[in-house]
Amino acid sequence: MKNKTQTLPLLFFLLFQFLFFNHVHSWKKEEFRTCHQTPFCKRARSRTSSTSTPLIATDVTISDGNLIAKLVAKSKQEETQQNTNPLLLSLSVYQNGVVRVTIDEDRSLNPPKSRFHVPDVVVSEFQSTKLWLQRVTQETLDGDDSPSSVVYVSDGFDAVLRHDPFEVFVRDKSNGNTRVVSMNSHGLFDFEQLKVKGEGDDWEESFRSHHDKRPYGPQSISFDVTFHGADFVYGIPEHATSLALKPTKGPGVEESEPYRLFNLDVFEYIHDSPFGLYGSVPFMLSHGKQRGSSGFFWLNAAEMQIDVLGSGWDAENGISKLPKNRVDTLWMSEAGVVDAFFFVGPTPKDVLKQYTSVTGMPAMPQLFSTAYHQCRWNYRDEEDVEHVDSKFDEFDIPYDVLWLDIEHTDGKKYFTWDNVLFPNPEEMQRKIAAKGRHMVTIVDPHIKRDNSFPLHKEATEKGYYVKDSNGNDYDGWCWPGSSSYLDMLSPEIRSWWGDKFSYQNYVGSTPSLYIWNDMNEPSVFNGPEVTMPRDALHIGGVEHREVHNAYGYYFHMATSEGLVKRGDGKDRPFVLSRALFAGTQRYGAIWTGDNTAEWDHLRVSVPMVLTLGLAGVSFSGADVGGFFGNPEPELLVRWYQLGAFYPFFRAHAHHDTKRREPWLFGERNTELIRDAIHVRYALLPYYYTLFREANTTGVPVMRPLWMEFPSEEATFSNDEAFMIGNSLLVQGIYTERAKQTSVYLPGKESWYDFRTGNVYKGGATHKLAVTEESIPVFMRAGTIITRKDRFRRSSTQMTNDPYTLVIALNSSQAAEGELYIDDGSSFNFLQGAYIHRRFIFKDGKLTSLDLAPASSGNARYPVNTVIERIILLGHASGSKNALVEPSNQKVDIELAPFWVQRKNSPAVMTIRKPNVRVTDDWTIKIL
Amino acid sequence: MMKLRMGTGVIVISTALLFLCLPFCSSSVPNDPFFGIAPQDEKYYKSSDVIRCKDGSGKFTRAQLNDDFCDCPDGTDEPGTSACPGGKFYCHNAGHVPTSLFSSRVNDGICDCCDGTDEYDGKVTCSNTCWEAGKVARDKLKKKIATYQDGVKLRKDEIEKAKSALDKDKAELLKLKKEESTLKEIVQQLKEHKEEIEKEEEKERLRKEKEEKEKKEAEEKANEEKSAATGEEARHTNEAGKHSDAKDYAAGETKYEQSDVGDSYDGATDSPSSEGSLLNEVEESVKGAEGEHAAKSETDLRVEEKKSSEEIINTGNDASENTEGLSKEELGQLVASRWTGQKGGKQSGEAEDAKKTEEQEDLTSESNNEEYEGYASETDDDSNRYDGEDETEDDFREEERDDVSSSYKPDTDFEGEPDLSDVVATDNPSWLTKIQRTVRKLFKAVNFFETPLNQTDAARVRKEYDELSSKLSKLQSRVSSLTQKLKHDFGPESEFYSFYDRCFESKQNKYTYKVCPYDQASQEEGYSTTRLGRWDKFEDSYKVMAFSNGDRCWNGPDRSMKVRMRCGLKNEITDVDEPSRCEYVALLSTPALCKEEKLKELQHKLDSLNSQQPEKHDEL
Repeated sequence: MKNKTQTLPLLFFLLFQFLFFNHVHSWKKEEFRTCHQTPFCKRARSRTSSTSTPLIATDVTISDGNLIAKLVAKSKQEETQQNTNPLLLSLSVYQNGVVRVTIDEDRSLNPPKSRFHVPDVVVSEFQSTKLWLQRVTQETLDGDDSPSSVVYVSDGFDAVLRHDPFEVFVRDKSNGNTRVVSMNSHGLFDFEQLKVKGEGDDWEESFRSHHDKRPYGPQSISFDVTFHGADFVYGIPEHATSLALKPTKGPGVEESEPYRLFNLDVFEYIHDSPFGLYGSVPFMLSHGKQRGSSGFFWLNAAEMQIDVLGSGWDAENGISKLPKNRVDTLWMSEAGVVDAFFFVGPTPKDVLKQYTSVTGMPAMPQLFSTAYHQCRWNYRDEEDVEHVDSKFDEFDIPYDVLWLDIEHTDGKKYFTWDNVLFPNPEEMQRKIAAKGRHMVTIVDPHIKRDNSFPLHKEATEKGYYVKDSNGNDYDGWCWPGSSSYLDMLSPEIRSWWGDKFSYQNYVGSTPSLYIWNDMNEPSVFNGPEVTMPRDALHIGGVEHREVHNAYGYYFHMATSEGLVKRGDGKDRPFVLSRALFAGTQRYGAIWTGDNTAEWDHLRVSVPMVLTLGLAGVSFSGADVGGFFGNPEPELLVRWYQLGAFYPFFRAHAHHDTKRREPWLFGERNTELIRDAIHVRYALLPYYYTLFREANTTGVPVMRPLWMEFPSEEATFSNDEAFMIGNSLLVQGIYTERAKQTSVYLPGKESWYDFRTGNVYKGGATHKLAVTEESIPVFMRAGTIITRKDRFRRSSTQMTNDPYTLVIALNSSQAAEGELYIDDGSSFNFLQGAYIHRRFIFKDGKLTSLDLAPASSGNARYPVNTVIERIILLGHASGSKNALVEPSNQKVDIELAPFWVQRKNSPAVMTIRKPNVRVTDDWTIKIL
Repeated sequence: MMKLRMGTGVIVISTALLFLCLPFCSSSVPNDPFFGIAPQDEKYYKSSDVIRCKDGSGKFTRAQLNDDFCDCPDGTDEPGTSACPGGKFYCHNAGHVPTSLFSSRVNDGICDCCDGTDEYDGKVTCSNTCWEAGKVARDKLKKKIATYQDGVKLRKDEIEKAKSALDKDKAELLKLKKEESTLKEIVQQLKEHKEEIEKEEEKERLRKEKEEKEKKEAEEKANEEKSAATGEEARHTNEAGKHSDAKDYAAGETKYEQSDVGDSYDGATDSPSSEGSLLNEVEESVKGAEGEHAAKSETDLRVEEKKSSEEIINTGNDASENTEGLSKEELGQLVASRWTGQKGGKQSGEAEDAKKTEEQEDLTSESNNEEYEGYASETDDDSNRYDGEDETEDDFREEERDDVSSSYKPDTDFEGEPDLSDVVATDNPSWLTKIQRTVRKLFKAVNFFETPLNQTDAARVRKEYDELSSKLSKLQSRVSSLTQKLKHDFGPESEFYSFYDRCFESKQNKYTYKVCPYDQASQEEGYSTTRLGRWDKFEDSYKVMAFSNGDRCWNGPDRSMKVRMRCGLKNEITDVDEPSRCEYVALLSTPALCKEEKLKELQHKLDSLNSQQPEKHDEL
């Protein structure tokens, strides 16, 4: 009896805990450091301009085409013991409005070691755009006693190094020499120099059970950056938060963490937090109604914390001399150097172009990878794979890629197959490939410490693993249990790793197999904050703290380059990565990690994907359906309807969730999901054209409204809707059983409902009835897009299918659009093997023009593909015929369904069977 | 053979030429305007020059038929091209079965029809494989028909047996109920008598006490008075006693009758519980040692589960506080377990890892893990396992599954419940009459008014009462279990009658799956049993047995199992799978699904296949 009375409450307690545990978010907040628990962040965040040591620039001169200077403490008395040596500053200028500023310790003064400069991020072509500075002008700014050094950047812009107090900024000459982007305008610059540990120095840090030796003492850097003429700042992914970055500090701001950039594998992340997720791109964009856009990029791979300072944050120091209408930010990093880039804009697209001129253009993806991907942890065995594949055919739902998660391997040893579940992987891939489809297997960076595993043996013998602080191979825990991690910082190791993807080395792989890099933050289950200890050592004595945020990037790079090698440089790689860094866009796609099947996660996926695009990483998406948990059918359908517009469109699910392939939720839901996927397939020519645009300009496929409508303030903080290219506006539905929604349609021109063709006025908010059939999508008047309205099993079979042109006429009965086509898989487009057309409709005539420059190379991409249908939205006349020239053929104009595959699709004005070839120049005149 | 092959090759090429555009023709428009139309549909297209879209959305001219431009959203105008996403393409597939394809398959570079007619734009050349494929299909169909022919007989026998067994059950139940009420009466009478006797005995006792007391007093008195007066008084008292006794008895009888009524009333409310418990007792005793074991291991499992959920709670809970004390491995496993829902290290399932973890931890975790991996093995060509579609769809596949070890337990003979044999040996209908006679005799023999009671008679009544009331309770439990049994749905023709109280087992790797229709489904590994579901109902017009509300899954739903049945000559489980976590699917082949209509359908299908044979192929 006694026992019973004691155990009962305990049982209830446990039961309660169990339920609680199951229902509440399991984000382990306490496992991750807050700024307060991170000494460098805590110090930097509490610093004010009055408590920091002012620096002044001396010895300013031109050297090797750069403006160089020394930064020294302003007064000897204020010099702290720590920072005695002068720092070296170098400012260089590049074409198209890019200014680069580096600040480092003076290596000639023999610091304990050289600080880490992040290699292989800035593309080599960027160097060639450098403007060789010849001279510097001295100028005394208003209110200053000492001079500033001024250099020319581009038409209308100067870069200024103010000597005392030290400040760097870019100014707009056409706008009264106002600052555009500035560094240290608030005097918060601080640079902790490396030290040799002396007697009594105690720098070591502990967090929970983890210990960090910090052999060089504190080495952080922090400074303030101001975006002038800005209403909002954006960028610095990856966070699950709003598109326009909310202030994290200042009056009226609730106690908030700074935006953290530290690549972490966060279990069940929450949907609104400045907390750091899987990737880090230290690039911020500003936008304002008056001035437009500017950007700032700090190439630094150590942990970074960034505060967006609410206006009035510095009130205690008296009213700032700087004009209002600016956004101040505070950047703090644990290590590394200052390697900062200023981008002058002035349009958002200019900033993207400038940023990607530094870190590289987004790679041109394989065409198939822009279609629909079907993933699950896990498609268990070959039979399961065959079954899922055949079901897509049975339900006439196209898909292009089937994915295999970690369970396909033999004991989580990547490059191997579980020979019970996957006894004939090549045969399996061939069957899938016979339908023009592809497969993806996962290859993670943790290598199982198993001596019978040749990869591990070889890596051990060659000394290719990251070392712990004692110099032994670092031994962490991940899926396979005890694991080690390849040192991807080393080009030699990356090359060796790349060779592992050859068909000989990766037994069971075939040319239709591509790769997924997960867990590359790196995720270490028993490491501090579920990652690698900061005092682990990379090649050349680089501490992990210095390279952490770029680790996954190098891994992604190595894999991607491996796939290029595998295909003899002829086949474009496809590698999906979870971790990312600046430059990731060159290597493959990114997804937003382990999200949850909740409406809030559907909602936040839009600002997350938009922000990745703003950071150059255009090819990204979120797991459709949500990784954790079971979505209600309505949520799943809405997710497909939205996800079909993500640049990277993949459904994925945790292995504890119910099966959720598109046909498992009843006929109606199958139909809705099929329709959502069909829309994506119809739009593949448009998407591919946009991917090419990203590939040449850095402008993302999926864009915030303000990128297309930079002067429309109403769009600046809108992250419920987005643009696909310049033509389609998509508004997600983020609530259950929504009956109506409000959509703001920007601009002066009208918009056409992309389902019905109904016309809506621009520059207004419309209250719209919502049906289950689709989310609201609008086509902008004045644009032309290409569709392929025939559906196949996969994009592969669509190659020769004819096109539909959709022309949305504006108020002056005109419209324009482009179409880019190539073979979808090789690099021949680099030699000119592509078709690039511009379609222009005006004066009642549609013209197709060649956009491919004559100089682009000798290769050609020959196709006979024709345009079978031209839809005219908003055309005034009731013409019955059109004349095709030069063939002089008359073709019919009739009312035909806007979408041929949809029942009861409204009839719209359609030119029937013009059958003009996309490769040719022609005109079609409405008679 | 070679020659013949080449011959067919020539035929293929020439037919291809007939259908296809000439090399210079790159268009996707078929030469035959009626291409891709099913024979039964030709009339629809040929009857007029202006043809309506079947969905009523519009009309099109003969020239627009198959002109590679979609005019009807439903695809009416483009049966032979890929222009309409909603269309269907008909392949004749001479020598095999005609099929209807989604128009998305037309000219997509993949040969879908065995006659190759879906690819005619010259980009690929498809050979005609209909004869070979058709032969394979026909052979399979023939085999299947053979199975069905035997299966139909077996099923008929089964149904006959079930009918008579059911009639027997019903008759027995009726009889048992009658017997029950008779026996109840007898027992009641015996009870009354017994009570009467007990009352008498009590009285006797009291009297004796009194007598003794009086005797004592008398003895004391005798010292002072004469003995004659004492005798008189004693007789008086006796007579008075007798009188009041008789009255009591009458009152007693009415009282008992009333309570009888009350009992049968209460039956509705009271008896289920008592019946239930009786039933349980019986079942338990029937199942014997095995049942006991199962029950025990079930509770064990529950305890284990509780334990493991405690552990989970601890990990969930203590992750924040207690990671400090963990070794690196433990921490790694703990964090890994967040994603896997399993204890760390199991994902790898390696002995090496197991060594590193505490044994206890691994026991629970590993079983989970193996559970997961366990399903993932045996490949089998049945692709319909997850979605439960109609059997017809996998007609050609189902014969090929004998790789999975499977067995089923021979019938536990329900009739042979040992404890009941004395009661239910109903072949001898006179047992009750005998009893009645015996009891009557007994009542006659026993003189209740005799004082003092004949001890032998009293013992006989008591013994008879005990025996008969135990008989009654056995009878009642038999009645109740029969009633329960007959409440079940044995299918429209009682074809599933024989499934009652029967289990089908299948061993896959280290697991034994046990499907007990009308009871439960479970998965056993060594001594641990996981309940995959309790009997729920038949689904999908008696093609599926559903078991639901099984043991709860960590971070998942309650386990459940669907047993999909198909025609086969033996009752056996041919496959078990877990397509979604904790949702199991098993395949049971059984004669119960070998329906005559289906056999006719199959025969018809074969006939039509044979009738479509081109003459020349018969030589092959």
